[in-house]
Amino acid sequence: MTETWYLYMFFAAALVAVGLYALLTMRNIIKLLIAVGIIGKGISLALLASGWAQNLLLTAQSLVITFIVVEVCLVAVALALAINAYRHTKDLDVRKLARLKG
Amino acid sequence: MTLQTLLLIGLIVFSALALLSRDLIKAAISFAAASLLLGIVFFRMGAPYAGVFEISVVAGLITVLFILTIALTEKKAEVRESPKARMIFPLFFIVFIIIDVLVMRGLIRKIPTLPAEAETGLFGQVLWGQRTFDLVGQVAVILAGVFAVLALFRKKDLDD
Repeated sequence: MTETWYLYMFFAAALVAVGLYALLTMRNIIKLLIAVGIIGKGISLALLASGWAQNLLLTAQSLVITFIVVEVCLVAVALALAINAYRHTKDLDVRKLARLKG
Repeated sequence: MTLQTLLLIGLIVFSALALLSRDLIKAAISFAAASLLLGIVFFRMGAPYAGVFEISVVAGLITVLFILTIALTEKKAEVRESPKARMIFPLFFIVFIIIDVLVMRGLIRKIPTLPAEAETGLFGQVLWGQRTFDLVGQVAVILAGVFAVLALFRKKDLDD
């Protein structure tokens, strides 16, 4: 049981690390949102793996479903913001957002 | 177990491809493929509801949203990513994997097990009976998201 849990947590940590690296280094807003989605995948894997290891799979599943819904709302709002920012700056570069004027 | 490991390795590979590929459409499709693999992992762990949500919502809906946004923003808006980030990524990843191998096993042994009663009943009973507050929060989050998107795309008033 612990060995399999270790395997899942190992990959969950790797997913979060890949997403964090992209969040810190990428410049394209859409890539940043994909990175947020990948961190979300790592977190849902960790949640479900913990529930699986403690034999509380049903509770873990309901938490994962809640988390997925929250993630969808986050991505939808963030993409709408990205489109609005693109209309202002004609660019998807996050560095140009610092120059936004009302 | 081997199949599960292969699926998880594929998940990491597609996630890295989604972040490193230059073409945004390819990135979105790699993201969907990663979600599909994660959904299959959930199914094999014995969590079919989470798997269905992962495949239908994340691999389906979020990918459609990404592709829609990429289509709405013109092609000339291509952003040049820094070449250093792409070059350092393999090094960063290998270093992280080594730390992960060394540290994770010890960390997992230290996690205290919370006392919990064994689950009884069906998924629906747990979801509706025990996690009612989560569901209320979920409805609030969906409504907040809908209103935020409506507010962001509203047309200007005539007197503006």
